[in-house]
Parts: sequence; structure tokens; C-alpha cells
Amino acid sequence: MKLSNLIYAFSYLVAISFFASCNNDDDNDTTMMPDMNADFSGTYAQVDHMGRPGINTVLSADNATKDMQNITLPSNMAAAFQASFEARLEAYHDVYANILGADPAAVNYENNILGLTAAQLTGYLAADVLDVAPNLPTTYFNPGTDADMDGRILVPDGDEVALTGRMLQDDVIDVSLILLFGGMEGNRFSGQDTNGDGMADLPRLTSDGVSITANPTTTFPYLANPE
Amino acid sequence: MKKTKIYLGLALLAVTGIVLVAADHIDAPGSMGTSADIADFYAFEPTTGSDNTVFIVDLQSSVLPDLAYGTFDENVLTEINIDLDGDLIEDKVIQAIPRDGIMYFFGPINPSQKGLNSQVWVDAPLGSVEISGTTAKVTTTTDGVKLFAGPRQDAFFFDFFQFNEVISGNAPLGFKTPEDAVDTFDGANTMSIAIEIPNSMLGTPTAKNALGLDVYKTWVTSNKKQ
Repeated sequence: MKLSNLIYAFSYLVAISFFASCNNDDDNDTTMMPDMNADFSGTYAQVDHMGRPGINTVLSADNATKDMQNITLPSNMAAAFQASFEARLEAYHDVYANILGADPAAVNYENNILGLTAAQLTGYLAADVLDVAPNLPTTYFNPGTDADMDGRILVPDGDEVALTGRMLQDDVIDVSLILLFGGMEGNRFSGQDTNGDGMADLPRLTSDGVSITANPTTTFPYLANPE
Repeated sequence: MKKTKIYLGLALLAVTGIVLVAADHIDAPGSMGTSADIADFYAFEPTTGSDNTVFIVDLQSSVLPDLAYGTFDENVLTEINIDLDGDLIEDKVIQAIPRDGIMYFFGPINPSQKGLNSQVWVDAPLGSVEISGTTAKVTTTTDGVKLFAGPRQDAFFFDFFQFNEVISGNAPLGFKTPEDAVDTFDGANTMSIAIEIPNSMLGTPTAKNALGLDVYKTWVTSNKKQ
């Protein structure tokens, strides 16, 4: 996003937040249940599941797996899906090896900015739950962080705050792409011009290129009125 | 060149015709585009230092035509699951289910019945809120719990059409540059359920994230009446 657009978007966000807070006067202080005689009987069976964004969509290899993931208990997920997720991750790398005319056997996942191997990363992601820290600031991840200035985006030496929930503004797709395709520096496949001809020679796989277009507010329920 | 790798690559190319939408929007054929389709899940601290946690569940989406969108289904029970000790089994559950224009909330309780089937915990009412139209209507309970249900702007952002080109092997350059990329969800709406709840009502977690920080392990499910 261009800087001018960003400034415009920020002004808009501030304006929206202001109006949202002005309109938010429809607040009823009550615990009463209006009609507890409503019929809530019956058994409800699980049909969909979500923890982290995009995991089932991106890493389940086929429709049967996607449906199965939605009705698998989180405590059983790593055992059920880690291996197929790892195969899927490797298959994504092979797609680009073929496009680039390289040997698919030679283009593989590289340990990511958290230092996780393919098996560790897919094992972590296969248990599809969202970690939420009750007593720390929320950030799904901040891929811009390089607090110790070692050139790596984040080295997990214990004092970082990350993986503590998901804000409305968090760019969860870019974070996921960086963890899957970014390698140790987070930028392994990011449209580099390797031969200096002014054209990208490596694919752009560590960002989808879009920023938030919605306008979250600063007051409950934090999401803007429908469009 | 290993043949198995080539076959995997070809298998991936063969999924060209399938429309995939993240975050969880339309993620699987069994729930795809139905009134029970979970579109998204957010959980965050509302302000730095707050003793509350906010959970937002988005059901349904208007991002593509022909998807169920616009009305909460009375046969769909939404559950926010919270694991405190890291065994990935729910220790606290918050339920939400609509009846006649009202969204009813129950819990948080430690359910005696875990797993894939649920009942509504009518003995543990949390509160209720009128389902909003365009303007948000909010309830705050005497316990300080804020409740909301209604249509909202879909905050998710993703160039999902280009994603489909990428995974189909049709995009040698990968994703587009910021100048050319398009947020597919720009202008989309969703049916949101939001709750802001004091952490004291959820308990203190001993579970850890990958960096060793204390966290709730959370997930959301949608459940259909049998």
C-alpha cells in the first residue's frame, strides 16, 4: 500500500472509530434472559472447526481431509494430519521447482524463522487451535520484529511476545506464508531479482500483497457496520 | 528427479478447478457455504493491560454469490472452546444460539460432555442480546460481559483468486505485488458473534505457546441440531 493511501486509511479509521463510539449508545445493562422458555433441547453435532486461520484450507490435501479435519478433536489432530500436512507443504515447493525448471527433489522446505523443521512446523499447525495470552499484548506474529538486530526477523530466545492471539488487523496470511516459505530469514521466496536484469527470478510466496481494507473500530464489537 | 515428487506436483496442478477461500471461509465441502460455515475466528486483548479477552466468531460470508448469508440459523449452536492446561481438551465452553431474534449465550462452564456432540447448557445462562441490524446493539451483563450478534464488515483480507492461481501452478511469479494485488474480501460482510469477557471467568492457563508464554488454547466449532 502506498504511503498516501496508508495515511488516508488511517484518517478514515480514526473517523470511523469516532462515529462508531458515538453510535454505540444502544447498550443494555442486563443479565436477564428474555425468554428462557425457548426450546433449546436436542443434541448438536459438530460440522465445522476453526483454530488458526487458513490451516485447513491450505494444508489439507483434498476434500475428504478437509471434511475430516472439521470433525476431528484437537487432541487427535497432530496424529491424524501432521504427515499429510508435511507432504502438502513439500508438494507446494515442488510446484515451484517445476515452474522454475529445477529438480523438485532439490527444492525443499527450509527451516523457518522460528527454527522449526517441516515436521515440527506441520505438527504445530496440525493441532489447529489459536493460542491466546490473557496477560500479554496480542499479536498473531509481527514479521517486522528484529529486536536484537541480528538480521533475522525473530529469534526465539524467550523474551519475544508473539503467537498470543489474533487481532482483526493481523496479516495472518503473510505470517503463514513467511512461516511456510520464508526460510530462516523469512524472505526466501519473495520475488528476488537474482541475475540483476530488473525482473523477478524467484516467485513471490511470502506475501499476498494485500493489506487490510476493512475498518475495525476501537469499541466493542470492534467490527464496522456491514457494507 | 523422483517420480513420487512429480506425481505430487501433478496432483497439485489437478486441483485447478477447486475454489478455496481462507481463513476458514468455505474451507471444506461438508460445511461449505452453509449457515453453519465458520468464516473466521479472532481472539485478542482489547487494550494493552486489559483484564478482558475478546472472542469474535464470524459465520457465513457474502464474499461470493450463492453462499448462505444474512440470517443466524436456529439449528446451529456455536461453541468457543478454551483449554487451560494444554491437553487440547476443552476446560471451558461458551455457547451461543439464536431464538426469535435474540442470541442467547451460556457458560463458560466445564462441560461434563466433551467432544463432538453437545447440548445447550440451559442451567448456565450467561446473557442475551438482540440480534442487530446495521447498527450494533450491545448488551453488558452485571458480570461485565459484553455481547453482540449481527451482520458486520468482514475484516479478513487475502488475494484469494491469486492464491488459487499460485496453488494451481499457473502463477510463475507467485503472488502479485502490492500495487497489483486485490483484497478479495473488500466489501464482504459476515454474521458475527462477539463476546468480551473478564479473564477471571475463564481461569488461569498453564498451557504454553511455541515461545513458552502462558496461553489459552482456543478454537470454535459450529454444531447442527440432529
